[in-house]
Amino acid sequence: MGWFIIKRLTSLIPILLGISLITFILLHLIPGDPAVAYLRMSHIPPTDEAVAALRLELGLNKPLYIQYFEWLGNVMQLDLGMSYVSKNAVWDEMLLHLVPTIQLTFAALIFIVVISLPMGMISAIYKGKWVDQFSRVVAFVSVSMPTFWFGFLLIYFLSVKLDLFPVLGRGTLAHLVLPSLTLAFGYIGTNMRLLRASMLENLNEPFVVYARARGVSERRIVSRHVLKKSLLPVVTGLGMSLGNMLGGAVIVETIFAWPGMGQLFVSSIINQDYPMIQGCVLFMSVIFVVCNLFVDLTYSFLDPRIRLEGGK
Amino acid sequence: MRQIQNMKRKLLSHKLMMISSSIIFFMIVLALFASFFAPNDPNLVDIAQKLHGPSSQFPLGTDHLGRCILSRLIFGTQTSLGTAFLVMGLMMMISISLGIFAGYTGGKVDYIFMRICDILMAFPSFLLSLALVGILGPGLVNLILAMVLVQWVFYARVIRGMVLSVKEQNFVLAAKICGTPKLVIIIKHILPAIISQVVVLIFMDIGGIILAISSLSFLGLGIQPPEAEWGMMINDSKPFFRNYPSLMLYPGMIIFIVVIAFNLFGEALRDALHIKKE
Amino acid sequence: MLFKRSKLLSLLFVLLLMFVTGCSNTPKGSENTSPKDNEKVVTFSMTGDIGDLNPHTYFPNEFFSQAMVYESLVNYGEGGEIQPWLAESWDVSKDGKEYVFHLREGVKFSDGSQFNAAIVKKNFDTILDNRKQHDWVELINQIKGTEVVDDYTFKLTLHNSYYPTLQELAYIRPLRFVGEAAFPASQDTFKDGLKSQIGTGPWVLSEYKKNEFAVFERNEQYWGTKPQVDKVIVKVITDGESRVLAFEKKELDFIFGNGVISQDSFQFLKDSGKYETKLSEPTATRTLLFNTNKEATKDHKVRLALNYAFNKKAVIDNIFYGMEQKADTLFPPVLDYTKINIDPYEYDTEKAEQLLDEAGWKKVEGKPFREKDGKELQLEFLFNSTDNIQKSIAEFVQGDFRKLGIDIKLTSQETTTFWTTAFQGKYDLLFTSTWAVPFDPHSYLASITTDSENGGPDYTALLGLPEKKEIDKKIKKVLLTTDEKERKKLYTDILTTLHDQAVYLPISFQSNIAVYHKNISGVDFLPQEAEVPLTTIDVN
Repeated sequence: MGWFIIKRLTSLIPILLGISLITFILLHLIPGDPAVAYLRMSHIPPTDEAVAALRLELGLNKPLYIQYFEWLGNVMQLDLGMSYVSKNAVWDEMLLHLVPTIQLTFAALIFIVVISLPMGMISAIYKGKWVDQFSRVVAFVSVSMPTFWFGFLLIYFLSVKLDLFPVLGRGTLAHLVLPSLTLAFGYIGTNMRLLRASMLENLNEPFVVYARARGVSERRIVSRHVLKKSLLPVVTGLGMSLGNMLGGAVIVETIFAWPGMGQLFVSSIINQDYPMIQGCVLFMSVIFVVCNLFVDLTYSFLDPRIRLEGGK
Repeated sequence: MRQIQNMKRKLLSHKLMMISSSIIFFMIVLALFASFFAPNDPNLVDIAQKLHGPSSQFPLGTDHLGRCILSRLIFGTQTSLGTAFLVMGLMMMISISLGIFAGYTGGKVDYIFMRICDILMAFPSFLLSLALVGILGPGLVNLILAMVLVQWVFYARVIRGMVLSVKEQNFVLAAKICGTPKLVIIIKHILPAIISQVVVLIFMDIGGIILAISSLSFLGLGIQPPEAEWGMMINDSKPFFRNYPSLMLYPGMIIFIVVIAFNLFGEALRDALHIKKE
Repeated sequence: MLFKRSKLLSLLFVLLLMFVTGCSNTPKGSENTSPKDNEKVVTFSMTGDIGDLNPHTYFPNEFFSQAMVYESLVNYGEGGEIQPWLAESWDVSKDGKEYVFHLREGVKFSDGSQFNAAIVKKNFDTILDNRKQHDWVELINQIKGTEVVDDYTFKLTLHNSYYPTLQELAYIRPLRFVGEAAFPASQDTFKDGLKSQIGTGPWVLSEYKKNEFAVFERNEQYWGTKPQVDKVIVKVITDGESRVLAFEKKELDFIFGNGVISQDSFQFLKDSGKYETKLSEPTATRTLLFNTNKEATKDHKVRLALNYAFNKKAVIDNIFYGMEQKADTLFPPVLDYTKINIDPYEYDTEKAEQLLDEAGWKKVEGKPFREKDGKELQLEFLFNSTDNIQKSIAEFVQGDFRKLGIDIKLTSQETTTFWTTAFQGKYDLLFTSTWAVPFDPHSYLASITTDSENGGPDYTALLGLPEKKEIDKKIKKVLLTTDEKERKKLYTDILTTLHDQAVYLPISFQSNIAVYHKNISGVDFLPQEAEVPLTTIDVN
């Protein structure tokens, strides 16, 4: 197990380096001289001397690769620069917005688990029956629904018309329900179908046939053997959803005025706050990668065959 | 019993295919002849007529600037579908050529290709597209660029996989032994062998692309006003959605219908061509 | 083994659940107002964070919160009357260059320290150390010296006799006072900020979460009339529609301000009959500003054409529901010195098209927009996305000008970035407004003459005007003119020139709005537009 973890961790290094390189290059795509942009943002007239002095100070005259390593060194010390707009450290701002987003995604994860697992299981057991057909419809609706529209529908019907939930913002637990449900909805379909498919596969395995022949009750077969085995791909699915939800959070947080990373990201884009854009991309990508790593590790923990095969 | 089940399923998917393909066809016709179908100029502002209900002049009413909602929806078909097809087309051009190149060449080229894929796929793709639009500046061209640059890699990798499985098959090996030039093998043998899978891939995913485009426009980063686009129409209707929910309902409904039609069609197509999910 | 694992998984799940539920946070007392039954709390919302609550600095500080905690020597009262405040009385020397203030005794800062002449001088001096930052306030440029005469007497010496001295002392920033303990080690409040937010005002900041909320408690040691309620919670809600929804759900007690909700929402709340609504007298002018450095808008004829092309009546009738009055001049004619005789540019598209033709921007067969030397007539229109009214007007202008062959490109940015871009002059048309009393008209005009980052973008915008130097000279002169008649003449002259040059496109005179639940009282409009009437507000 330890060996597998080490191996998996070392494979992360080139990927993280690649991510940092691309994020670094991203900022060099901005049209115009970054020194001039910086001066403008600080209300200093961009005279030739001021630009030259700043270029020296920011190290913009050095070769690009040296700039990259210097920048990477700063990033390692969590120094991601200063926001053009709030003039605060990018890292501090991001930390401030991280907790609400974690809360939102985990709440959404709970919704996904609670809804998609039972539905997936039932539709596998009653394959072809109306329950299965229904779940198929739900799955299609779930992946085809525009998140932003669904959010408004929920607000309109559940909050405004029926007055069941608070409308917007962050506060009590009730504030969390609609945003996390909106975020979860798009992932319910895939996870549900994933469990159904893997259960159907396992239901035809020899060991099931054997158990049936031995007279083990269908209920026991499903709950004891099939379900446990079928949950494996779902763990991957859920883990992937968790990472992808960071993207969905951008939209959900915008609709529900949820003060998280997504909102920070969108407002930094609207404000052309380049250091913040860069910081957010880097940070969220690292979270995404770590999520995927976590999924792999969980998977190998649940299914020893993977780590014995050396993670192939 | 089983056969009946299968029959039923086939019929059902046939029916779904009929429905979904006619929706798609209808939408494409609408997009191509938008100016013929639209009752009014979609960008004509007449503030005195703002937020009116349905009438003979404005079948679905007017928006907050007195523009005809129906006409904007129809012209939105043009922008939304047009952009989605354009994005898909560009992505396919890149990923088919790169995927085949890497898969067929193999060796070091393939290795480098796969490492690039690993890195690009390590980003949450929607976020990276967002960041690119943010840095290049909002607008239609930058939106297309941002989506293509980020997402081609997923298709390229799948296509590479298809090539790998075809590459070792006898008909390719035979052509190779006969000394057929590389390019001819690729065009005459490999491409036809994978094309149906690629078509399925396109139709399975175009719905997702439409969603991503409208999401970006909803955030105000895609198509800029006054041009009509569904996601932007929903964004525009935000301040009014409580008193005039129809402003938000229509464009959302259309996105939903179009996306579900493409998804159903893609799935039906896959079943019809007996292609297993990767 | 498997069983154990699934147990572990469920444990993880439970932990997750606990984490999610435990994460909710709210300002104390906002969700459960019951702990102290007799405690009165009002909640409202603002579009942005209150900032670091420092009276000597600007963005992202909000006027209203600075005014809650810090006070000035004199107060700008009803109708522009200057009232005693922290200074009980004052003497002005005959030549108008010396002001002696007799301070109110017994006033304490919220940390218990005394308010006296020494702390007044200390505040003045730190502000004067950063003169350049405040030079949009002409008084700052005019101050020659500050002096502690005795414990409760403070003397201000000026270079020239400056007629708006007392008026500018009443401004919400920067001439307000923080306590001794608030000063940073360097004593420079502008560069290094405050150590803590200690003022003499009726409110004390008690709890604060950046970008979420701020809680103010009543200052029990306040020298003046104490507020009716014990606590004020200010929530940050950026979006107008969210604000309305939160208000309807009683998460907010009142809505107050200008541009905080759209006119459609205001009309809706008013028509519902469930709430009280109020509209203030006109305060300032909503106006567009032309950038005279840009190719098209440099041309007087183009500016005139756009003035004629703008259908103000349609905007007022349909966007403002007739609630605002049409503006033809830069300032409401009810202010001091602002009533001038001019011919307004009435809506006339024919005239506009003719002027555009004359300016060389001609219609081209088969193309939607006018062209000159092969270049399309595209104008970049910059507006503030945080304001809930500007967007609908901007979109209307885009649609309406399109009919005349003018392509308007809309650019919207959030407040801070919006101003940065505006100061850089990266626009053709800027959505702005005058500053309302006590700043209008003299401070607003003074800001035209100074390139100050805390003033207005007008300085840069008007640089392309050949008459700019002449206008600046006159404005500088009028501020130091002691003769009433002469002053009036100069103002008329300046305002007429600005009108003739058509550098502004005044749209309407804006008002503050207030919407509140029926159990709330005391929501009155204060003389300074940016102040929120928190001291009089009460919950029944």
